[in-house]
Amino acid sequence: MECLSDLWQNVVRHLSYSPSEPMLFSSGTFWALFIIFLPLYSLVRNRHRQMTLFVTAFSFFFYYKSSGLFVGLLAVTSLVDWTLSRILARTKKQALKKLCVGISLATSLGILAYFKYANFFLWNISTMVNGNFQPLDLVLPVGISFYTFQSVSYIVDVYKGRVAPTATWLEYAFFLSFFPALVAGPIVRADYFLPQIREKRHVTSTETYTGLWLIILGVIKKAIIADYIAQYNDLIFDTPGGYSGFETAMGVIGYTMQIYCDFSGYSDMAIGLALIMGFRLAKNFDFPYKSLNVTEFWRRWHISLSSWLRDYVYIPLGGNRKGTARTYLNNFITMLVGGLWHGAAWKFVFWGAMHGAGLAVHKASQPWLRRLPDNSVVRAISWLITMLFVMALWVFFRAGSWSDSWTILHTAVTDFSFAYAPAFASARMLWLILIGIITISHAMPEGFWNKIGDAFVKAPWTVKLFIFIAVVQCVIELRSEDVAPFIYFQF
Amino acid sequence: MKRFRHYAGLWGILTSSFIIFTAASSFDSISIGRHELKSSGLSQAIFGKAQTEDVQSAPVFENDTVSIIQSCNPEPVPVDTAAQTILIIGDSMLEGLVPRLAAYSDHNGHKLYAAMWYSSTSAVWGRSRKLQRYIERLHPTFIIVSLGANELFVTDIRRKRERYVRNILDQIGEIPYLWIGPPNWKADTGINSLLRDATADGCFFLSDGMQFRRAKDGAHPTRESAAEWVDSIMRWMPKSAAHPILMHTPTEAKGRPAKLWVHQPDEKDIDPDLK
Repeated sequence: MECLSDLWQNVVRHLSYSPSEPMLFSSGTFWALFIIFLPLYSLVRNRHRQMTLFVTAFSFFFYYKSSGLFVGLLAVTSLVDWTLSRILARTKKQALKKLCVGISLATSLGILAYFKYANFFLWNISTMVNGNFQPLDLVLPVGISFYTFQSVSYIVDVYKGRVAPTATWLEYAFFLSFFPALVAGPIVRADYFLPQIREKRHVTSTETYTGLWLIILGVIKKAIIADYIAQYNDLIFDTPGGYSGFETAMGVIGYTMQIYCDFSGYSDMAIGLALIMGFRLAKNFDFPYKSLNVTEFWRRWHISLSSWLRDYVYIPLGGNRKGTARTYLNNFITMLVGGLWHGAAWKFVFWGAMHGAGLAVHKASQPWLRRLPDNSVVRAISWLITMLFVMALWVFFRAGSWSDSWTILHTAVTDFSFAYAPAFASARMLWLILIGIITISHAMPEGFWNKIGDAFVKAPWTVKLFIFIAVVQCVIELRSEDVAPFIYFQF
Repeated sequence: MKRFRHYAGLWGILTSSFIIFTAASSFDSISIGRHELKSSGLSQAIFGKAQTEDVQSAPVFENDTVSIIQSCNPEPVPVDTAAQTILIIGDSMLEGLVPRLAAYSDHNGHKLYAAMWYSSTSAVWGRSRKLQRYIERLHPTFIIVSLGANELFVTDIRRKRERYVRNILDQIGEIPYLWIGPPNWKADTGINSLLRDATADGCFFLSDGMQFRRAKDGAHPTRESAAEWVDSIMRWMPKSAAHPILMHTPTEAKGRPAKLWVHQPDEKDIDPDLK
């Protein structure tokens, strides 16, 4: 009886909200729940009402596990948005339409501003007046930045007539809370996703195994590579100036790879899970470190965010329709918003501003750049300049403070010596191998990865099982004791 | 069944691997060649003794919390006011402990060296001569050990770990030391009582039962909580430690050690004589 009691208590504990144990796709709890979810989902998959109800309930539970009672906030936000979207669609009065959009944006962005930026705002005011800053006791609901952007895109698209409002709140709640993309994206757009809810899903074994392959790739990137290399990177960023220039430079390179593997790994898992369920989420990363300039980088990095910013910030600001100077300014403002979206701190504002400046400089240099020959030397130099720029800015993104960022960059540049390389290689061989794997993976053509994916899908069941077990055991072998949550959870 | 047919293969993979990992984690250890596989812990998470959050109902071992505290050195020993060379070794818990400990060391005129070996255990250090080499190189006058967090759930722990704990203590020899017990996030299977029994009176600080704010992994204390952990140890030291050293509360929140060595989990450093 005691054994059953322990079992029951363990199950209850794993299903209860715990701030220290958010639901991760790579966690045992999610794994177990998905095993239960899958057969039930297959039963209701093509019964619209039951499917939306079942998946929405699961998504809300998923959010409860990650963010506790903030699930209520998600429900209320979705209800407000949906009600306003219905009024918006029915009325012909322009003033009322604008009022609905205004209320919806004020609600969504107001909640985001309160939870994410209130302390930042108060701290700045306090600093200006030399006050004694006492932060508000606020906990940021997980993934609020992602679903707020989805909510904004929905209401604006309904207002513009690009999408029809959903017939029921349940359908809208399904869209807003769809668990694969709920807490760390990709940011799902209503015009792309809502039609998929209404369609019948013809899921084949090929799709389910492709989904599994994406999940495995995501787990390798996040739980094996990113979490392992993070152990060393954290040391460098937590002790700025405490290591040699070579070690510091390796830490900067390491963080550059870590944030890519962390975030794109999560996106791969999200896209894979959605695919298993018969939904298609757009690609969120397209080998960003292949980019030859900053503009290309933003076409390949966090694509769902950059396209959202383009459509809902850059174009409404005037885009490139109001002259050259205004185009640069619009680009700059858009990237400032993008920077601030990542976090309530001046370092994110600076990071966004510098990327905005980089985009402006690249655009301004176009007449000159077009005259350069298109050969491998020019491409190599372009790639190097782009990578150095991106890596240097990741330092500001990651470091604890402004002075830490400068110390790290200063040490990496002024104290750099290859003399440390042999000792470093012998002490950090696995770290180097993993960095090498990511670098090589970027160098491979996309067709290569498609072939590997196809081979996995066509492989015998036992081979797939073996690969899955091997990957999970690798995660267990290499997992950091201090398992890092997805970096983008905090945004 | 027709609706499920496209999911059957995937579901089979997920389910059978889950069962395999759960079953495998119920064994003490599984090795492939000379490599001992790490456990997923699924069996413990599902069927293990239920975790209790309440400190009042903290688990009771053969030496329970109260008896361990009461058995600590009852007579305060005069504080050694000399400047010390401190060496702290241990697992990733050092990430939280070292910054605050460095602040104490700076403030009190000591020199702190730290050697952090990720994922390490008493077995990892006890099979290696690494500690001895650090001692020969640095000549520490005080040693702090923080190990045990990765051994909370090892079954039959006395048989498996006692000799390694004693190897570590043998390497420390006559140098004054303090072993900081792991900050339990779940009931352990006996590591705290093993450490208490193996260490000398006043040389073991029991962290089990203290309340910590945890990092996202649910195991490591947050940096702030780890700093408070160090503060608690330093308040305990003059009253109960076998060899208290000067550790007045620093004005700075954190500091940096004179040198920090980091060893990765995969680093092999096994002395055949100690196996």
